Amino acid sequence: MDTVVQSLLNGALMGCVYALITLGLSLIFGVMNVVNFAHGDFVMLSMYFAFFIGSMWGVDAVFTPAITFPLLFIVGVVAYYAIIDGTLRQKYVTQIAVTVGLMTFLRAITQLMWKAQPRALPYSLIQGSIHIAGYNIMLSRLISAVVSILAIGGVSLFLSKTWPGRAIRAASDDLDAASLVGVNYRWTYALAFGLGSALTAIAGGLLMTFQQVDPTMGVRFGLLSWCVLALAGLGSIPGLLISGIIVGAAESLSMALWDPRARSLIVYLIFILVLWVRPRGLFGRK
Amino acid sequence: MKIKATTFNRVLLGVVLAIALVIPLLIRTNQYNLVLVTTVLLYGVLATAWNIIGGMAGQLDLAAFAYLGLGAFTSGTLLIRWNVSPWIGMILGGLVATGFAVLVGFPLFRFKVREVWYALTSSALVEVLKVAFVMWEDVGGPVERYLPYYSFSLYHMRFGTYIPYYYIMLAILVIALLVNYRIGRSKLGFYLRALGEDEDAAEILGVDARACKLKALMIYAFIVGATGAVYACMYGFIHPSFFSGARSTEVAILGIVGGMGITYGPLLAAVILVSAREFLRASLGGQMESLYLVIYSVVLILIALFRPQGIAVFFQDAYRKLLSRVTGDEHVLKANTPGI
Repeated sequence: MDTVVQSLLNGALMGCVYALITLGLSLIFGVMNVVNFAHGDFVMLSMYFAFFIGSMWGVDAVFTPAITFPLLFIVGVVAYYAIIDGTLRQKYVTQIAVTVGLMTFLRAITQLMWKAQPRALPYSLIQGSIHIAGYNIMLSRLISAVVSILAIGGVSLFLSKTWPGRAIRAASDDLDAASLVGVNYRWTYALAFGLGSALTAIAGGLLMTFQQVDPTMGVRFGLLSWCVLALAGLGSIPGLLISGIIVGAAESLSMALWDPRARSLIVYLIFILVLWVRPRGLFGRK
Repeated sequence: MKIKATTFNRVLLGVVLAIALVIPLLIRTNQYNLVLVTTVLLYGVLATAWNIIGGMAGQLDLAAFAYLGLGAFTSGTLLIRWNVSPWIGMILGGLVATGFAVLVGFPLFRFKVREVWYALTSSALVEVLKVAFVMWEDVGGPVERYLPYYSFSLYHMRFGTYIPYYYIMLAILVIALLVNYRIGRSKLGFYLRALGEDEDAAEILGVDARACKLKALMIYAFIVGATGAVYACMYGFIHPSFFSGARSTEVAILGIVGGMGITYGPLLAAVILVSAREFLRASLGGQMESLYLVIYSVVLILIALFRPQGIAVFFQDAYRKLLSRVTGDEHVLKANTPGI
């Protein structure tokens, strides 16, 4: 019983980070209906950036998002104007071909620069663990979860209170009507893509406090975030958080109770089942 | 002298086939090059088979190596355990892959899982199978299982050289192309292309989307599954890493950049891109380990951006010009029909 609660706790904390990653994906997919296969590799890229900055200047991984967030935003905007913009009017398969190309490109370029071996930062300020009622909570995971939730809340505020945020939501609801009231769709799309990519920078910095990174990592985060998105459906930010926690907890439970190798199995099975049984997700509007 | 278009086509096909038949004899001493050309053919087979479900029916299947792995494990296990010939294992492997395709495809199409969600589900399936086979110690497991070695045994489909594998793969490729060609001109083919264009519209016009898509998936799975048996024999072992998501995605990408729904498009893409990739890998190897992938991915992006109809279009133009020159018929230049 103790292991169950313990792994549920760990998984739920991890799930908050998953939710943050998925928020970026859901901005990109929900707003411009672009299928981004490279999203997981943006996570991988930002983890490498965190590693690079952390090891070069001795900055703690938690603080790297201060630099990697704008960096990833620029990468996202450049990626949008360079390749995504040209495929908006194409069939979705062309978009997938392009983002798969981007995925391969990111993976190859990180391999080229940092070689294939896993990289990790030596230590983080937020080390150690705290004990509550006999359960062990890793401080790094707890802080990661809290920061993720704060970031999700921040994005949620940005989307509902500021003009650019409202423009993003308007473009997602009805592009033609939004264009009529003066929303420049290309800027809005670029902003959404940039923001979606930049969110992975926060997640990447947080993940680097307790994980290592290797170039093949993108696949896992890519499918994982699509799974969370399928479970949550489009349009509900709290739903995203709950789904992230469900997926994280399921992953962690299957590792503790069944077999460590089964973690991805459970995630993908949830994914497939959700698509069969409830295609618009648990909390989806569309 | 004027030549008929059909004669011209036959001559062209004959020349291509003759070149394909002669290649391994020219490079027979270099086993590495033989593996390369066989790999090109392998991707040609996979992408050509993918054309049925992906190119025609518009279902972006990313699970080619799931079916391939199932075929490889079926025939490999039969050979290791019960000494069953891979020639029989090929059929059985194809059937197992087809069975799996029905098992997966039926609910997917029943619940109208489409487009990106279909793509992601199939992609997830590859990973599910990989983990399942790693955990299933009786058949898979984390260690390679080696097929018995023979320097030349037709019964066991085990040869000391790669030349026979090349010809087997070539035969499968010809079969896959013929199947593709036949389907493309049958009622099923027209239904599938209608589905690929616009699924809702096709259904309103009375196309049974579920049945057609399932048929396409089954044919595709059978061809790929049967190829899996040859794949296992060629490499001499079976291992869960056969279930590779990245390689499955590559098959789909070859199908897309080759030209969706064009019979020879995916093969063309496989021949050009896979050989270019392997050439880059071989010539850049060493200190610039992943540079070939950087170049490869940039080329993929450029093709997808600037030639979304696929690279087969270039060859169609060249083919038409050649045809009009040879036959003296100007109309072929303007004809709006797919080539060969």
